[in-house]
Amino acid sequence: MTFLERTTDIRRLRHWEGTIEADYIYTSGIAGERFFVALREEGRILAARCSFCDLAYLPPKMFCERCFAELTDFVDVPKVGRVEAVTLSHVDRRGNRLARPEPWAFVTFKGIHGGLLHRLLVPPDKARPGLRVRPRVHPKDVRRGTIADIEGFEPATP
Amino acid sequence: MTARISKWPGKELHADDLYQAKVTQVRFRPDAKYAWSAGEAMSRFLEELQQGRLVARTCRRCKRVLFPPRMFCEECFRPTDGWTYIRDTGTIETFSVSYLDRDARRIAQPILVGVVSLDGASPMMGMMHYFAEMTPDQIRIGMRVKAVWRPPAERRGSVLDIAYFRPLREGEA
Repeated sequence: MTFLERTTDIRRLRHWEGTIEADYIYTSGIAGERFFVALREEGRILAARCSFCDLAYLPPKMFCERCFAELTDFVDVPKVGRVEAVTLSHVDRRGNRLARPEPWAFVTFKGIHGGLLHRLLVPPDKARPGLRVRPRVHPKDVRRGTIADIEGFEPATP
Repeated sequence: MTARISKWPGKELHADDLYQAKVTQVRFRPDAKYAWSAGEAMSRFLEELQQGRLVARTCRRCKRVLFPPRMFCEECFRPTDGWTYIRDTGTIETFSVSYLDRDARRIAQPILVGVVSLDGASPMMGMMHYFAEMTPDQIRIGMRVKAVWRPPAERRGSVLDIAYFRPLREGEA
C-alpha cells in the first residue's frame, strides 16, 4: 500500500467535525507600541535606528540585531518606497475566494533595513516590482493602532 | 523577585491594558476547523457494528486475525491483507466491578466492565465493554459471554451499538 492508495479525504470516512477556540490578543511590544501609536496619532511610519551601526529597522525593533544595543531612537521612513516583490492573492485571510485577485507587495525604503508587507493599490496587471509607491493612510478617526491603519501602498507621482 | 533583581526589565501589562485597549494590539479568532476521522479500519468497523457485525483484518504473514481491525500489522510491520467477520461470542479476560459511571460519578449499584476476547479473532483480541445479566458475585475470568445488540433502529455506528455482553446460555454455540 503506497501513500497514494491511502485515504486522503478523511471526510469520506466516519469523522467528527469541530472547531478549536483559539482567540488571541497579541500586543505590539515596546518598539511596536511606538510604531503603532505614531501611525494612529500622526499617520507616520517609524523605523528604529541604531546610530552606532548606522542602521534603521522597519518594523522597529527594540534591539539592534548587529550590536545588540537597545534602540531608543526613531526616525521617519522616506515618503516614497519601492516595491520589491508582488503577489496576487485569490483568497482572503479566512481562505474565502475573492471576486477579483488582490495585489500585495513587500515595500522597502531607501536606507532602511526591512520593510512592510501590504496591499498594493493598483490593478492586478499593473502590480510589478520596482514601482515607486507611498502609503495611503486612513483618516485619523478610523485609525485603531494596527497595520490596517494603512490602507495600502499607491503609486507615487514623481 | 530575587535578592539581586528588584525590578525586572520590560513593561508589565495588566488585564485593563488589554481589555480597555490601552496598548495597541491585534485580536483574532483563527478559523481553526477540524475533521477528526476514525481512519480506514475503524470507520469500517463502526459501520459494520451498525449492521450488527464484527469485522476484523487478517495478516497473511503472521496468520493473525486482528480485532479491532487495523490496516497495519504491528508484528510483521506490513499492511494487513483482508477483511473477515468474527463472532459476537467470547471469553472474559479481565473485569472490574465499578462504583463509578463512565463520567466518573459515584454510583450505588456497581456496573461491570472489562475486556472480552472474541471468538474468531486471534487470542487476546477483543474489546472493552459492559457486562450485564450477571451479578458481581457471578462474574469471573474465563466466563463465556455473548453480545446483546441494540435494536437496529437505535444503532449509531458506535461500540455502544452492542448494549453489553451477557453470559452464554446452555446450548448456545
